Amino acid sequence: MALTEALLIDNVRQLSGLNGEATAETPLFSSGALDSIAMLNLITLIEMEAGIEIRADEVTLDNFDTVSRILRFAEERGG
Amino acid sequence: MSALATTLYELFADNLAERSDKVFVIDPLDSFTYADVAVDVDRVADWLVANGVGSGDRVIVQLRKSAREVAAMLAVAKVGAVVVNVNIAQTAEQLRFVAQDCGAAAMILDPSRAKALTEAAGMAVLVAGCALGLPGYARWDLLPSPGGTAPAPRLDSDLAAIIYTSGSTGSPKGVMLSHRNILAGARSVARYLALREDDRLLSVLPYSFDYGLNQLTTMMLTGGTIVHQPVAMASEVVKAMQAYRVTGLAAVPPLWIQIVRLLDAAPASFPALRRITNSGGKIPDTILERMPHVFPDADIFLMYGLTEAFRSTYLPPCKFQEKRGSIGRAIPGAEVYVIKPGLGIAGPGEQGELVHRGPLVSQGYWNRPEATAEKIRPCPELADRIGDEPVVYSGDTVRVDEDGDLWFVGRNDALIKASGFRISPDEVEELVHRSRLVADVVAFGVADDLLGQCVHVAVTLLPGADQAALMAHCRHAMPAYMVPRAIHVWPEAMPRTASGKLARPEVVRSCAQRLQEPRP
Repeated sequence: MALTEALLIDNVRQLSGLNGEATAETPLFSSGALDSIAMLNLITLIEMEAGIEIRADEVTLDNFDTVSRILRFAEERGG
Repeated sequence: MSALATTLYELFADNLAERSDKVFVIDPLDSFTYADVAVDVDRVADWLVANGVGSGDRVIVQLRKSAREVAAMLAVAKVGAVVVNVNIAQTAEQLRFVAQDCGAAAMILDPSRAKALTEAAGMAVLVAGCALGLPGYARWDLLPSPGGTAPAPRLDSDLAAIIYTSGSTGSPKGVMLSHRNILAGARSVARYLALREDDRLLSVLPYSFDYGLNQLTTMMLTGGTIVHQPVAMASEVVKAMQAYRVTGLAAVPPLWIQIVRLLDAAPASFPALRRITNSGGKIPDTILERMPHVFPDADIFLMYGLTEAFRSTYLPPCKFQEKRGSIGRAIPGAEVYVIKPGLGIAGPGEQGELVHRGPLVSQGYWNRPEATAEKIRPCPELADRIGDEPVVYSGDTVRVDEDGDLWFVGRNDALIKASGFRISPDEVEELVHRSRLVADVVAFGVADDLLGQCVHVAVTLLPGADQAALMAHCRHAMPAYMVPRAIHVWPEAMPRTASGKLARPEVVRSCAQRLQEPRP
């Protein structure tokens, strides 16, 4: 799959609430940095790059709050 | 009920005599009584006074949704100053713009935002949290115990808050709200939503948004409880609704879409829930249709408003099935007319521009008398009823049905409305130009199931520039809701009008045509 840590970090780093600072462990949603529209954009990117369809009940902080959690989730779903 | 309150601070403080030990704010990890919040209000009020902030000064609050955010706003109100709440998702650049535009006297910031202010702020800054490496900024944690700052006397016609919002032209404008505006909004909404002292509203929407702020003011009016949910993620919202036995939820269409889809996939019951509300745009009918199924025991209120007059109409829940998608009629304490320019008031079956009259009409735009005079002005078609009393022109076309209920038709101007955010094409174009990658740019709205509308831009690229670099610039320079969904690269110079201006309608039409062609 084409979903890599570098791609995700690059993407969230560009999202304005983080002002360029982001690592694989930066809280994205629980910190308030990403709003609901940023979330929709991020989900679209993950679906496209990982080739998976994300169900509404899978969008949780456990699966999405950091880049490393997103990668773990995408891997478990078997991309 | 704070029946006697005339200012924003009194709306809160009138609760202290009767229910100081009642829980007022619930944060994810902690809860706070009215008395707890009052202590923080007083500590911050002392700091404001010590820094020379007084009646009429503007103070910026940019904090995560928390009891401290509430205390900061009320402290500003207590010293008679004007609250300018900036959404935590806004960039450092936008924060600087607002601070400069409103001539802020002080700022109360989240540590992450304070760090982003690379240059000296040039004013007193209070940081709510760890301020390591932020010399010169005061720290909330180190503020002394309350020293007894008295509330500053204010008229109910004085300014209480400024809410920044985009118009169809130029930069964001600050909508000025008086204490009376805010209290009238709380009283009207508490009445038609039948809010009570035992209500617990879930607050997901930011307090920088009038709809979100009103949840807080109605709970202060009734002596209720506000439950904070800082993460606008459907799964987290549902969890909080159940954990805190929430009695009311307010959301905007993109969030409703996610919540309804989640509950369709994984049904949940909410025995405490009394009502749910929507404003800030139209919910797609496929989602509206499912709402009574996933919330069988809640009343569903569909509402309409714009920041310049807060809220104009609502559809009573008993009409939800029959009039699904209608915005209903005027809320209590406001008058709404549908105007056919030059002809008069629209009757059943007709359409026209919605105008709003009454105590919710804002005080106009901060430092922009011309823009104010254009938006809030006497209505010749109403002269025989109300003389030259100014009304708010919504810029929205609505249709009147045979019963007198209103239906949203569309906007009269180029303003893009995505998920309750109003986006000015001018502002998008200005930010795209700052990339120095484009020669010409035209921004426009395209219908979108999730957001209502989304932003597209057409550009001619400068030599050596590429689309990916432009998108990266947009992601960096713009808040998420403004970032273009698509960039249309125009292959040659854009068409111009006779006077040399960009022929925008032609550009937009051509892009729209290409969007409708089947994808290869």
